[in-house]
Amino acid sequence: MKNMNRAELHKKNLHAVFYPQSVAVIGTNKMKGTVPGDIFTNILKANFQGIIYPVSPREKSIGGVKAFKYVIDIPDEVDLGIIVFPSSVCKLALEQCGQKGIKSVIIISAGFREVGPKGLEKEKELLDIAKKYDISFIGPNCLGVINTDPVSRLNASFARKYPTEGSIAFLSQSGALCTAVLDYARAKNIGFSKFVSFGNKADISEIELIYYLMGDPKTKVILLYLEEITDGPGLMKAAREVIMKSHKPVLILKSGRTEEGASAAASHTGSLAGKDEICDAAFRQAGIIRCENIEEMFNIAIAFVYQPPPQSKRVAIVTNAGGPGVLTTDAVVREGLQLAKFSEKTTLTLKRSLPTTANINNPVDVIGDARADRYVAAISAVFKDENVDGVFVILTPQSMTDIDSIATEIARVANQFDKPVYASFMGQADVSSGIKILEHSNIPHYILPESMCKPFHTVYNFNHFVVNNMPEILVSAHPENQAARKLIDDFIQAGKKHLNEFDASGILETYQMPVVEKKLAKSPNEAGKMAAETGFPVVMKVISDDVFHKFDVGGVVLNIQSEDQAEQAFESIIQNTKKNLPDAEIRGVQITRQIQNGMEVILGIKKDPSFGSVIMFGFGGIFVEIFRDVSFRVAPIDKSTALKMIKEIKSSELLSGVRGTKLRDIDAIADTLVKISALATDCPQIKELDINPLIVLEKGKGCFVADTKIILES
Amino acid sequence: MEKEEVKQRIKKVVSQVLKIDESEIADNANFIFDLGADSMQSMLLIAAFEEEFDIEMDVEKAQEVQTIDGAVDFISKYLQG
Repeated sequence: MKNMNRAELHKKNLHAVFYPQSVAVIGTNKMKGTVPGDIFTNILKANFQGIIYPVSPREKSIGGVKAFKYVIDIPDEVDLGIIVFPSSVCKLALEQCGQKGIKSVIIISAGFREVGPKGLEKEKELLDIAKKYDISFIGPNCLGVINTDPVSRLNASFARKYPTEGSIAFLSQSGALCTAVLDYARAKNIGFSKFVSFGNKADISEIELIYYLMGDPKTKVILLYLEEITDGPGLMKAAREVIMKSHKPVLILKSGRTEEGASAAASHTGSLAGKDEICDAAFRQAGIIRCENIEEMFNIAIAFVYQPPPQSKRVAIVTNAGGPGVLTTDAVVREGLQLAKFSEKTTLTLKRSLPTTANINNPVDVIGDARADRYVAAISAVFKDENVDGVFVILTPQSMTDIDSIATEIARVANQFDKPVYASFMGQADVSSGIKILEHSNIPHYILPESMCKPFHTVYNFNHFVVNNMPEILVSAHPENQAARKLIDDFIQAGKKHLNEFDASGILETYQMPVVEKKLAKSPNEAGKMAAETGFPVVMKVISDDVFHKFDVGGVVLNIQSEDQAEQAFESIIQNTKKNLPDAEIRGVQITRQIQNGMEVILGIKKDPSFGSVIMFGFGGIFVEIFRDVSFRVAPIDKSTALKMIKEIKSSELLSGVRGTKLRDIDAIADTLVKISALATDCPQIKELDINPLIVLEKGKGCFVADTKIILES
Repeated sequence: MEKEEVKQRIKKVVSQVLKIDESEIADNANFIFDLGADSMQSMLLIAAFEEEFDIEMDVEKAQEVQTIDGAVDFISKYLQG
């Protein structure tokens, strides 16, 4: 097993983290209210199904169980070590775990990278020991691990309460959030299959845990709280695999949405591609459901685990109050769902079963004085309707409302159909017992009726689009382009960081990108001749390694119609540049054909520290500057993804020939996007790239790179 | 003061603070890992060493000392001035 790939090793060792036959709590003591003491007590109290060994340098026994001075003194085999010693001696404890042959370890102790460079050093020492002995460990600096499966019942954590058994796995980088989530879930009767606080993720990260949960029969939904993403492509790959192979949704709450990250960027793409936008795009690409907060995360999770998925988006609303019915109708439409149109049979049934004052159309208003029988009649009727894919039941507590009976009946009727039902019993005190009945009956309950819409839509989308429709490949399919790599290596060796248009175009040409043909004039006379050879009108631009924003220094002249104009333009460009940037070394003036009747779009690359190279698409001009109407994908992408990126932006209709405009060559844009994706994959030294503008002609006539810049990594 | 004498006096202090028989304290024993000192006892040990040897130690650096041998070296430096 020596030198086994760490990921493979984790796959092998993780089972013992959740299903150990024997556990040693290393560094425990008798003191209640301390982490070392409470972890041992929690394992005992949860009725762990294996054998537990306390390891304590001072105690002869703990909780009536014989204690060992060192883990190596334990005469039997130990599957899982839980280290609760202070950080200063964790490495000694881990070393002994290695000597004892323990392969799976949880390091609860704090005092590592979270306290600074010295702590980080200690963390690295732990990893070295783990590698030496083929140990996989969770932590350090974590709350621990809980497995509610009755065959294990392991509570290797210092959480206050042991959760109930359920189908949701929760993984968290924050230990403190874990305890809050456990409390929240307990109040809502939400159970967990596995509960993991992985802390500093020095060894095992969320990626290995996601892979493990893919094969866990007890887990139906995976929830993750993340503070930092260290391996974005790895996370995307793991999530995609889990979703495609096991159809388990992956929901992530990622903190740090407002983190500043784009202000120092030197290109358009750099300034538009903030960390959060990239994270959003990457999650969507991988089929990950991103949640705004804990409440939304659990709102969606319970919809996944408690109810069947809707077949389509047509919703029936049954309510005893008009106002909330209308509010929910608004939310249904806003969310992109549809209000079901009832069949004649349903309308007739409702007419017969409800009072004449009731509204028998959708939303069905059973009227304020409705008791359980009226709810049953309405819910049963709409459930049977083929035009209904799911039912939202709303209740407001009137004096005659038999809340508990209605809750019980909703659950009873819902069990007879393979369609989802969600409920919202509005209020708090009066409806609390009814809510408990719903929660215990696995009917997802939401305090606000509007909150039923997003979970319904998310479950629908996941089952109909995400699971069976994930073509957005993450593997580059093209042969590597050595020519581009060599050019870039040469530029780096020459100490160039910002590549001017002339040099950047040379790189794009190695990918057969449609770069406008360029000539470089060194004198006014040469400029005139070259312009005539090119064919008027032409565009002239200054070329200098010291000029990055050519327009700002007066280094660009457009629409030149004659040799004379070209000669004059040469002189004015040189003059303006020298005036604005006296020290700039000017290589010459570039002459290109001016592409006419085109539409300007922008394409770009940005290297993200978490996800690697990211591709951007948007419209030129104010669309990109003011509206930030752009789309992103993590490279590599294929053509179908490129086409999605183009369609995704709000102003994409402008390319489709609406209102008398011409249909543009969308295919050519997609081809160029795929080519810059290939460039980004081949040449990770590219920090930022802008193609701004790419001029797009009518369908079938192609597109042209009219300007470009590249920034290389230092 | 000879290092051997320093070591014996350290062991005596450790024995008193942690309530362990002196004979059970090995030269390379780790205060936490082998002798089971908790964070409070670690602070008590530092105070007791200062009293025993009539020195004033840098507490932050003293907390990094983990073993009997380490304490002998650390305290000896103070005794040598």
